Amino acid sequence: MKVKITSRAGEHQFDAEPEERILYAGLRGGLSLPYECATGTCGTCKARLISGEIEDLWPDAPGKKNLKSDQGQFLMCQCAAKGDVVAEVSQFVTSLRPLSGAPQWCEGTIRNTRMLTADVMALQLELDVTLGFEAGQFMAVEVPEVKGLRGYSMVNFSTDSSVLDFVIKKLPGGALSNWLFSGSRDGVRARLFGPLGVATFHPDVAKNLLCIAGGTGIAGIMSILDRACQTRHFDRFEGDVFFGVRTPEDAFYLDELAAFQAGFPRSLRVTVAFSDQPATDEIRSRYPGIRFAEGFVHEVAGRDMQGRFENVMAYLAGPPPAVDSSIRLLIMAGVGADSIKYDKFS
Amino acid sequence: MTEKRICRIEDVPSNGLKECEVDNGAPVLVINSGEEYFACNAICPHQEVPLCEGMFDGKVLTCHMHLWQWDVRTGAPIGLAEAPLEMFEVSVDDGWLCIRASNALRVASLFEGIAQETLEKINAIAEERQCSEGEVLYTVGDPAEELFILESGRVEFLVGRDGKVTSGGFMVRKGEVFGWAPLMENQKQRVAQATCKEAVTLLSLNGAKVREILEEDPRSGMKVMMRLSSLLTKYMIAAGTS
Repeated sequence: MKVKITSRAGEHQFDAEPEERILYAGLRGGLSLPYECATGTCGTCKARLISGEIEDLWPDAPGKKNLKSDQGQFLMCQCAAKGDVVAEVSQFVTSLRPLSGAPQWCEGTIRNTRMLTADVMALQLELDVTLGFEAGQFMAVEVPEVKGLRGYSMVNFSTDSSVLDFVIKKLPGGALSNWLFSGSRDGVRARLFGPLGVATFHPDVAKNLLCIAGGTGIAGIMSILDRACQTRHFDRFEGDVFFGVRTPEDAFYLDELAAFQAGFPRSLRVTVAFSDQPATDEIRSRYPGIRFAEGFVHEVAGRDMQGRFENVMAYLAGPPPAVDSSIRLLIMAGVGADSIKYDKFS
Repeated sequence: MTEKRICRIEDVPSNGLKECEVDNGAPVLVINSGEEYFACNAICPHQEVPLCEGMFDGKVLTCHMHLWQWDVRTGAPIGLAEAPLEMFEVSVDDGWLCIRASNALRVASLFEGIAQETLEKINAIAEERQCSEGEVLYTVGDPAEELFILESGRVEFLVGRDGKVTSGGFMVRKGEVFGWAPLMENQKQRVAQATCKEAVTLLSLNGAKVREILEEDPRSGMKVMMRLSSLLTKYMIAAGTS
């Protein structure tokens, strides 16, 4: 199928496979199409159908709430072309060449599932190919048993990897997480599209790092810390990591965070904030290198960072209300918009 | 648009924002900054997000969705923002805040920040034109004498000829400038076709006269030429067809 996208400054054409989401077909064709979550929740990849027929793969997608469907608007991440299609995007779209960094489809096998807390699971996907990605990026993942794709950030970082680490939280009513948590899934095949996302860290970022994460939002932050430690970023710059969960029982990756901190004891600070309960003596004595605080993570970060917002590059991740609160905190503290990075999931 | 009363000034929070409904029009965002009041289109020029949900520190307005930012005094974009705010002219009458639409020239980013006197001279040669749906403003090979500033409506472009015609994009935003060939040297003919896709209001400017005015004020002229070259670069990068 041929898809033609008319944008602010001209048109672009690419091929799409049957039932392939128009966004994915365009991205792997090297186009800079607008998107954020790529999985139907945010609404950023809005386009307007000019001609042809499309199939909506998720008619109830929450990202459709502001769409004017009577004007032909649709989400490119949830619609596939049923023949040749012409659609319009209101942004500037550019064509990226070469295609080496463009996201692609790949397949892999689920391995090493393990529980990190009562409702958070870690797992690996062993890919059939190696994949290059930036620290902080995510993949859209689907398994044959569950309809649709979900976005998960890589936890690990390596320049060319065939093993990707993910963490997944059990969500009430979450079809994929329910499936994952209700039986042994090691050995199951999965299909992935990516890498996606722009909230990335690169060693060229000559700034102090400020990371604020809630819950499983810590995943992408772990990848960023992994890369920053590998490149000894904290020899030259400061790092402040704030990780929020509800109670001490909900905390995970504390061993890994303590290890990052121990590598740069003077320049890297890690604070874990509990919103519902104070830290226990046990957790304090077990992790002497980690600081513990009580409160919402953005409030804890706001108090602690007062007077230290200059020259930071901020990375935010977690539930959208928490990310919004952190954005507000940073903007009102005078941090420039180009120094705040996040990808919005829900 | 004539002057419209839209709210009482005491209803606007100090150093804050208030969205106001306007009869027969898009909602307007009223902004208080110290002693001054400003007003702009209440919807973000990026993606239809209400700006009253954004962040405001008394000087800079930030849309919470993608962190586009503007100086509320002028509507000029800052940082990540790629388009200015559509500002209104504001006055206070007997405790009422009144707004009046700015003419498109004043919100055109091509002329943003140039000397007031120069802007007035350009304004004096601007002619308003009403075009109907389907009207072709110019086509390939036509003499390029005027440039246009969009007031309202939608204009689409086609490039190429002899059966190999492709879309050159479209313009929908108040203050967008097109048909800029007469601002350049030796661009005597149109290289694209511009068609009104709905009823369009625009300002037309004689290119040679604009150049004359800018030559008298080289500082403003330099600003305009820098903006024009950035604009052209943006279109060149985006137009690489695949």
